[in-house]
Amino acid sequence: MDGEVHRAAASWENGTLAPVDRLRTERADSPTPGLVEGTEPGAGQKSAMFVHAQSFEDLTAETEEARKEAEGYSELGKPADSTDGIEVLMGKDTISEKQNKKEGWQDSKSKEEDVSSEAWRSHRKHVFVLSEAGKPIYTRYGTEEALSSTMGVMMALVSFVEADKNIIRSIHADGYKVVFLSKSPLVLVGVSRTSQSDKELMRELQYIYYQIVSLLTLTQLNHIFQHKQNYDLRRLLAGSEHLTDNLLHRLDRDPGLLLSAVTCLPLASSTRDVVSSSLQAAKAKSLVFSILLAGDYLVTLVRKKDQFLHHIDLHLVFNLVGSSSSFREGEGWTPICLPKFNTAGFFHAHISYLEPASDLCLILVSTDREDFFNLSECKQRFLERLSKRNAYQALKDALKSPSYSVAQVGIPELRHFLYKSKSSGLYTSPELPVVYQSEEEEERLMGLYHDLHSRLHHATRPLRSIYHCGETENLMAWVTSGFELYLCFSPLGTKALAVSAVNKLLKWIRKEEDRLFILSPLTY
Amino acid sequence: YEVSAAGVCCAGISVPRMATGMQEKQYTPSLLSFFIYNPSFGPREGEEEKKILFYHPCDVEKNEKIRNVGLCEAIVQFTRTFCPTKPAKSLHTQKNRQFFFEPEDNFWIVMVVRNPMIEKPNKDGKPPTIEYQEEEILDTVYGAVLRQCYSMYKLFNGTFGRAMEAGGVELLTQKLEKFFYRYLQTLHLQSCDLLDVFGGISFFPLDKMTYLKIQSFVNRVEESLSLVKYTAFLYNDQLIWSGLEQDDMRILYKYLTTSLFPRHSEPELAGRDSPLRPEVAGNLLHYGRFLTGPANLKDPEAKFRFPKIFVNKEDSYEELHLIVYKAMSAAACFMISASVELTREFCEQLDSLVGPQLTLLASDICEQFNINRRISGPDKEPQFKFIYFNHMNLAEKSTIHMRKTASVSLTSVHPDLMKILGDINCDFARVDEDEEIIVKAMTDYWVVGKKSDQRELYVILNQKNANLIEVNEEVKRLCATQFNNIFFLD
Repeated sequence: MDGEVHRAAASWENGTLAPVDRLRTERADSPTPGLVEGTEPGAGQKSAMFVHAQSFEDLTAETEEARKEAEGYSELGKPADSTDGIEVLMGKDTISEKQNKKEGWQDSKSKEEDVSSEAWRSHRKHVFVLSEAGKPIYTRYGTEEALSSTMGVMMALVSFVEADKNIIRSIHADGYKVVFLSKSPLVLVGVSRTSQSDKELMRELQYIYYQIVSLLTLTQLNHIFQHKQNYDLRRLLAGSEHLTDNLLHRLDRDPGLLLSAVTCLPLASSTRDVVSSSLQAAKAKSLVFSILLAGDYLVTLVRKKDQFLHHIDLHLVFNLVGSSSSFREGEGWTPICLPKFNTAGFFHAHISYLEPASDLCLILVSTDREDFFNLSECKQRFLERLSKRNAYQALKDALKSPSYSVAQVGIPELRHFLYKSKSSGLYTSPELPVVYQSEEEEERLMGLYHDLHSRLHHATRPLRSIYHCGETENLMAWVTSGFELYLCFSPLGTKALAVSAVNKLLKWIRKEEDRLFILSPLTY
Repeated sequence: YEVSAAGVCCAGISVPRMATGMQEKQYTPSLLSFFIYNPSFGPREGEEEKKILFYHPCDVEKNEKIRNVGLCEAIVQFTRTFCPTKPAKSLHTQKNRQFFFEPEDNFWIVMVVRNPMIEKPNKDGKPPTIEYQEEEILDTVYGAVLRQCYSMYKLFNGTFGRAMEAGGVELLTQKLEKFFYRYLQTLHLQSCDLLDVFGGISFFPLDKMTYLKIQSFVNRVEESLSLVKYTAFLYNDQLIWSGLEQDDMRILYKYLTTSLFPRHSEPELAGRDSPLRPEVAGNLLHYGRFLTGPANLKDPEAKFRFPKIFVNKEDSYEELHLIVYKAMSAAACFMISASVELTREFCEQLDSLVGPQLTLLASDICEQFNINRRISGPDKEPQFKFIYFNHMNLAEKSTIHMRKTASVSLTSVHPDLMKILGDINCDFARVDEDEEIIVKAMTDYWVVGKKSDQRELYVILNQKNANLIEVNEEVKRLCATQFNNIFFLD
């Protein structure tokens, strides 16, 4: 031990994009630590659905990357001229505040609270969005008006440090921290009492930034503020605040946003294949992505050849659908910018539920704003095909049990786990056990996963594995070039047990992978 | 506070790394600025300069100073929006980190540390690209260093408030200038680590018999020299006995081991005929000598002035003379009320009483020490290195740090591993319960952290192919042999 330690390059930092096609025979039967990307349980066999490599780092990487990406795909999603999108956005297809009231958990949220009160100060996580002129755009708690001087100070701090050719990152105090993210023309500030690292909080602010871009496009945002620096962006975003509220709520509890991955509805692979191929057959010229969701689960995704959907974009779609009940009332038609795909232009999304009372929601993403009737017809074709091939009933049956219990794995001390296959960008996780079902405990467990995640993915001191033994639970996290695994054991579990549990669990996931993952994604 | 010659060295540029034929320069963290201000001293516009009591480096332009102090005030004020009682402790920026500390009401000390950076040369005569490594500095470590700066000032000067009472802003700024000018040069920011967070005391392991001998020595001296209020006894830079409060001993220990002893170690190591060796002035009965105060008692010009220190006493503090007397590897500190004037007679009395006894004790301890070493077997490089700290008695033990030279301690492991220890320590600090964390670094080293009650143990294992279970067994063995199983959870 003589200081001769060389820093190994973290393997995921230079991961390649879509894995090359692999034959089933190449997939090891018994999972071992040697599993590399593309052969881990849950790895897609033909090609990936998402641009997901460098998944976590994507969010923290510089924006140039996004710009390059945008240029690459410039034929698709052409920049809309500035008035165009806004009109559509403000049109009747978008979600009004009234519908927002239907969301149960949001009722407890009071915008009117006193911003000098102890209650306001003690919120777990504040998020503020402001313009570079210091004008309030969004606050999670309280009203923007009441906070305009606070936000003015935030902007002053940002510019003050900037004047020294420096960049402000964060302020740390006992029990909370303040994180700053400048994404011209916006500035985002988070104040958190959680134990999350700066990097994790920065990543969450980035999500909020993309959420706003997805409503307006970056081109329009820039245009607006170049035109009028002092513009009150709330005029354009009015009625969409709940999308941001909702996204913040998801960030606190959806492991998918943490893992940069999506989870699938458990489904017999034969059924999923029929659903996918039916969706594949229902194509149209300008169609780029067809996505079938069941609540927060992905059922299948079919994409245009050579076009990839980024997991962030998919999460924004999830958030849009999940935040609004208006799509239940009929076929929705809404412009949407998928910022990781192209920050400059709008796609047009046809969003509708297969049945009014069903959780199955179909999203057809097109480049053509006049395509509504075409896509409506696509949906009909998809439905007909689905019924004809008797897959619809099987799908509806699967919906009755969208999650599974950890007991199925057969490891008594194992309470919960998250498993992410790196090459497919998909993860699987059982339902929360009783001990973690209260809102508080759920947040606490997610907080523990967040801690493990940020340690494993530390920018300069990444780790291969962590075992954490505490009074309330024992945790283990392990990252290889193929997968990431997070396990939560009862505090009585031993290390020996944890080691054997990992092997047993990986075998179980391998056995169930047909059901838990989308192994053969399709393209048109 | 004096600066040892070796202690003055510039913030380091480490050995350039070769990268594809071009030379990259890597810079370690360094002190950018250090200032002390009191916002209530210049509340009006145009009077901002009055707030500033000390500013390093002093050649910074006035407006720049005011600007930087202004930012700190703004940051602190801003965070009060979210928690009025717990304002900002640090500010992270791309280029540096600033640490804020308010040791006394309205007195703020700020330390600005530049992030480590890599300078990459560019072709075509373009200026080099600078890459800041923003996640390298640990807040806990540098926050502790800042608090230590204040504690050290307070040890030798008392509180800021005391100077204000005695001579107003003028006296305070004088004192700050005098102390920090030299002290800041001894900060080795690039080699700070977890041990700074603990600020612990290394205790000398001793058998009961020898310990009793030392205790009775202390009693005898205190009885014969009734002026002595407190005594501390060290061997080999490790503490054996202390009559001071823990917190006072902690900072005094820091001063002795990182400043005073290193300055005096060279003459001892030097040969008998070396000019460095102090005159033993014909006294062959013992090896005792004063490390503070007069270098040679026989010198008719000798001054009998000793450094003064301030220690806590209930709600107040008391001022004491600090006499440090050493014979071979044994050192005794005698503290005497500052109101008493120390004379040549007293020093001679002390020398003749303590000198022979301390010389004898030193050789006794040395013998005992060698016996123990023989019992524990030959030194062989173990498969692990560890740091142990006990919050109750501040005891620390590290096999990671090599002997301290001057005021720098060197570590024998990669800095990244030290930072992983720091990360684990942060995790432990968050929750007040017994915990254990085992991580495997990308370099395949295993690092284990255990917290039980008030004790913390960190182990680095160099068994790259071991699995979790084997690592656990190894640490269990270590706990059994080194710590008599005082640890922990399974």
